[in-house]
Amino acid sequence: MAAIARITPTLKTVLNPGISSVLVRRHSSTKVYGPLADEDRIFTNLYGRHEWRLKGAMARGDWYKTKEILNKGVDWILGEIKTSGLRGRGGAGFPTGMKWGFMNKPSDGRPKYLVVNADEGEPGTCKDREIMRHDPHKLVEGCLVAGKAMGARAAYIYIRGEFYNEASNMQVAINEAYKAGFLGKNACGSGYDFDVFMHRGAGAYICGEETALIESLEGKQGKPRLKPPFPADVGVFGCPTTVANVETVAVAPTICRRGGSWFVGMGRTRNSGTKLFNISGHVNNPCTVEEEIVCEEAIMDFDGLVACQTSLGTAAVIVMNKQTDIVKAIARLIEFYKHESCGQCTPCREGVSWMFKIMTRFVKGDAQPEEIDALWEVSKQIEGHTICALGDGAAWPVQGLIRHFRPVLEERMASHAAAKAVAN
Amino acid sequence: MLRVGVSRLLQQGAPKGRAALGTGATRAQSSAPEKIEVFIDDQPVMVAPGTTVLQAAAQAGVEIPRFCYHERLSVAGNCRMCLVEVEKSVKPVAACAMPVMKGWRVKTDSDMTRKAREGVMEFLLINHPLDCPICDQGGECDLQDQSMSFGSDRSRFLDNKRAVEDKNIGPLVKTIMTRCIHCTRCVRFASEVAGVEDLGTTGRGTDMQIGTYVEKMLMSELSGNVIDLCPVGALTSKPYAFTARPWEVRRTDSVDVMDAVGSNIVVNHRTGEVLRILPKTHEASDINEEWLSDKSRFACDGLKRQRLVYPMVKDSSGELRACEWEDALLVAARALTGAQGSVAAVVGGLVDAEALVALKDLVNKLGGEATCTEEIFPEDGSGTDFRSSYLLNTTIAGVEEADLVLLVGTNPRFEAPLFNARLRKAWVHNELDVAIVGPNVDLTYDTEHLGEDPAIIEQLLAGTHPFSQRLKAAKRPMVVVGSALLARPDGGLLNARLQQLAHQLRAGCEGGGAWRVLNVLHRVASQVAALDLGYAPGVSKVRNAPPKVLYLLGSDEGAITREDLPADCLVIYQGHHGDRGAEIADVVLPGAAYTEKTATYVNTEGRAQQTQAALVPPGMAREDWKIIRALSEIVGVKLPYDNLAEVRDRLAELSPNLTRYGDVEEANYFAQASALAQKAFF
Amino acid sequence: MQGQITGHKRKKKQPAISCYYKMATRVVRSGVRQVKPLLSVDSGEARQRVLNLYKAWYRQLPYIVMDYDLPKSKEDCRVKLREEFMKHRHVQDIRVIDMLVIKGQMELKETVEVWKQKHGIMSYWRDTVEPKPKGFLNKFLDGHE
Repeated sequence: MAAIARITPTLKTVLNPGISSVLVRRHSSTKVYGPLADEDRIFTNLYGRHEWRLKGAMARGDWYKTKEILNKGVDWILGEIKTSGLRGRGGAGFPTGMKWGFMNKPSDGRPKYLVVNADEGEPGTCKDREIMRHDPHKLVEGCLVAGKAMGARAAYIYIRGEFYNEASNMQVAINEAYKAGFLGKNACGSGYDFDVFMHRGAGAYICGEETALIESLEGKQGKPRLKPPFPADVGVFGCPTTVANVETVAVAPTICRRGGSWFVGMGRTRNSGTKLFNISGHVNNPCTVEEEIVCEEAIMDFDGLVACQTSLGTAAVIVMNKQTDIVKAIARLIEFYKHESCGQCTPCREGVSWMFKIMTRFVKGDAQPEEIDALWEVSKQIEGHTICALGDGAAWPVQGLIRHFRPVLEERMASHAAAKAVAN
Repeated sequence: MLRVGVSRLLQQGAPKGRAALGTGATRAQSSAPEKIEVFIDDQPVMVAPGTTVLQAAAQAGVEIPRFCYHERLSVAGNCRMCLVEVEKSVKPVAACAMPVMKGWRVKTDSDMTRKAREGVMEFLLINHPLDCPICDQGGECDLQDQSMSFGSDRSRFLDNKRAVEDKNIGPLVKTIMTRCIHCTRCVRFASEVAGVEDLGTTGRGTDMQIGTYVEKMLMSELSGNVIDLCPVGALTSKPYAFTARPWEVRRTDSVDVMDAVGSNIVVNHRTGEVLRILPKTHEASDINEEWLSDKSRFACDGLKRQRLVYPMVKDSSGELRACEWEDALLVAARALTGAQGSVAAVVGGLVDAEALVALKDLVNKLGGEATCTEEIFPEDGSGTDFRSSYLLNTTIAGVEEADLVLLVGTNPRFEAPLFNARLRKAWVHNELDVAIVGPNVDLTYDTEHLGEDPAIIEQLLAGTHPFSQRLKAAKRPMVVVGSALLARPDGGLLNARLQQLAHQLRAGCEGGGAWRVLNVLHRVASQVAALDLGYAPGVSKVRNAPPKVLYLLGSDEGAITREDLPADCLVIYQGHHGDRGAEIADVVLPGAAYTEKTATYVNTEGRAQQTQAALVPPGMAREDWKIIRALSEIVGVKLPYDNLAEVRDRLAELSPNLTRYGDVEEANYFAQASALAQKAFF
Repeated sequence: MQGQITGHKRKKKQPAISCYYKMATRVVRSGVRQVKPLLSVDSGEARQRVLNLYKAWYRQLPYIVMDYDLPKSKEDCRVKLREEFMKHRHVQDIRVIDMLVIKGQMELKETVEVWKQKHGIMSYWRDTVEPKPKGFLNKFLDGHE
């Protein structure tokens, strides 16, 4: 979950605009990280300066020797992905090679599906939309390569309902790919049949959760399923399914073309490769950039941020300046989670709205200091007790706030009480 | 709910599919896999793979609290009350949904478990109103009980509680939606068991509501069960609202007589009044599982209205006047003596076996032969000579083993809602296919409608109908004959053909003839016992030879009218409500309803069960067999039994199955019945 | 006779229940023995006691009628008193007579001290209450079946 990144105080520091050019040394090794060389960029049309259609995409190297990649076989593709050390870009950071490998069990007659999670709704996250509107063929080709790797019959791209233009561009790209013979029967002439379907969501954040996404794709209410069974056993329409993030899928063809060893050569061990970073908030140029690694005070990769009691999530960075009312900011964030809770399981349904009620009073300071502990306990009662991770995601910002800004909260309560006493 | 397809069956190891299969899915569990050992609070238990933590704990005798989990519904896992700690797991797991793994150590009373429960309890209570004192669920409320056991002793919630608008879903189920804890049991019941997709959730998060989206009735014949399922007071009984507290009522286990299924019930009563009727789980889950049809559940309000409470005799002006028992019995006795054997009896649908045997003995002793039931059954061929010709031979639970059901001239949804629920259960979980000959009715599941023409039965018998191949291929087919079909003028012929068809199909069945194909679905509770005791089905005997005295025992369907009888015929009516039968009577003797007598009923399977007297009959009304016994003494043909045990000895003498309570007495004379049918018609 | 003997011994020694069997066998062995009297040594003395009791009752009757405000006359009561004594005229056993006398004295004490209530006294005249119905039909008509 990206949200937590921004309550780590270290990240509150104003980052330099044009962050992609920052050069940093990692403390413990001599290896130099960043800036990313232009020839190592995967998303070469991230800023939409070039043609996004098939012609432009092919000029940038997409659909180059896709047939050969497919013909190298499942094991080769999986091998390259495993070598690359690619980790899921959707937030949890699960090793992609392993996840796709789960699908390679002997078939029991059911078709397998790849579902691409393009329901990008995480606060501060805007990387997938850049891919889909400026480089849609990367994703289409990625679907084909990833689909081949897991023996999928088809891919469903579940795209967020608000992304109208992105959905349009994606559909155009898919149509172009079909027309060019890259998709459909005998895709790319490789003898492999593969279809790609678009499905537009209706704007629920929870549908970004993989099992809720599957439910929504099946036409039901987007409510997370119980696991087990995992989607790899029983997924969309009861068939084995892998749900993967747009970015994860989109980088797969480039990894296969340039080799997993190229990819693993960037970034720290177990955190290899390039990543799209989303920078927003109080900065001069809010932007999405592709970067190997970013270091300021914290190491911005999966394991580095876990060490800081937070996580990388989708690598969304919301920068806030010193004037920001951090309590109000967290209250707003909790309101988002309250609004987006599906209401299926008790701790999230009841607990998040309760936290929001408490936070609303905290913003004014209209509370007792003991309630800070109560709020902490409430967040702990939610965390780890829900069906999906949304409950955890809602609990963490509050915990971060209390961990780092407890004096701010207490001070505000004291001044509110004093003002009240004067008024009386 | 969508029918469980191949995919669902494939994931049978997974909790969603398996738990819903319940007890009856014997076909699916062909080979017993090796058991695995798990530890519940350090106590080792051997369980089958795929068992959930909650079930394993139950085996170890540890009950884990739950709200959303219900063993006959699919697993939702959303209340989170059943969270328990599993050793080496960072997070507590939902016991209802999580299958156990080998060697797991589950801690149901650790700090983590208790904290998780207390947390969930606190969350459930923050938005739950504190209206327990005026809540009908109070005293039998899961939330109340579990908050006492697992909740905190104080509240930290300082803000406003949520309020939700109540929904109007009909005259039976009252909703107080603010109390809802969103366990979705009702939604799952409606879509899975009842087969109506009316209930669902709308809204998200804290605004989530259970409801019908637009205001409409919960159109199900099983809707009352959501009242029992609701763990809080969100769904309560409208007729029972504000009537009594659960600790005030006395409970008497009994049997329902509103249809021929013989559902097991608990009569809740207080100070001589039936307050409500609840289902009781039949021990082996063979009859009603734990459901009850709305008719059986809500019909009890009629037990205190329009009752016959004193004997009545018609006076000279033709008006029925209340009188003493002596007077009424004397008038009846004088007529019976004077009839010189020209006595007949017609019994209705709610009569118990004790009254049936007493009346039959009385009529026979007086020299009468015509003892009839109102409900018709063809007497051609072997008629009712063989028990197997008029029973639901496969049994209700047996439906879950069938693979093809042919319903002929019946609407089980209305005639036997719980039998229909079984059909639906098998349709959902066991890939049962159902075909209908007769009116194309909505049975809440997909059916193949073959048509309404009786000629279809002939074609099926001849093997010329397109459906014949399917029937032949079926390994465990059932032919269910409705009593409406048998009442037709050509019912005898159709019944004979169906008997032959069923006999034909048995040849292709699994298990070498142990599987019984022919099933008759009765509509009324008394019919099987009456046929067992030798009553003639249908009133043609009475019509053909009108008697001087006609004894109507609870027969109110109007099978016999005044026009069918000679003007000087004296009609004695005995019963508890008195409808069309009492209207034409000269003497009315007030009897007891099924909640007021200890009596024997045999359901459509041939299973004898007994009701228990919860109350005494109102006014001067008496138990039915006693009235007949008293009358017999006055007439001078004293029946040789003075107490219930002696009547039951007489029952056992005539038909021993009638006193073997709880058992289905099997019957197996299909070949003979088929041969006699052949002789009679073809 | 045997019953009385064992009863007598039980009274004297108050043995535990487990002893009964043993005792019974001993009694059978010893055969019939002389009975130890309760109070009276012969029938004459017993008779005297009965007469004394009768007189005591007889003298108290007017006060009883008054104290309990009985709707009966002295004469009615005398008739009833005699009737009650005559109920036991067949009793020959001195021990039984003594016991009946003791009970009669207790009854007299309770009555005279007004430890009883009016209906308790009036129950001596309860013979007019209808007997419980017997037989199925009678019970049925009476509402007992």
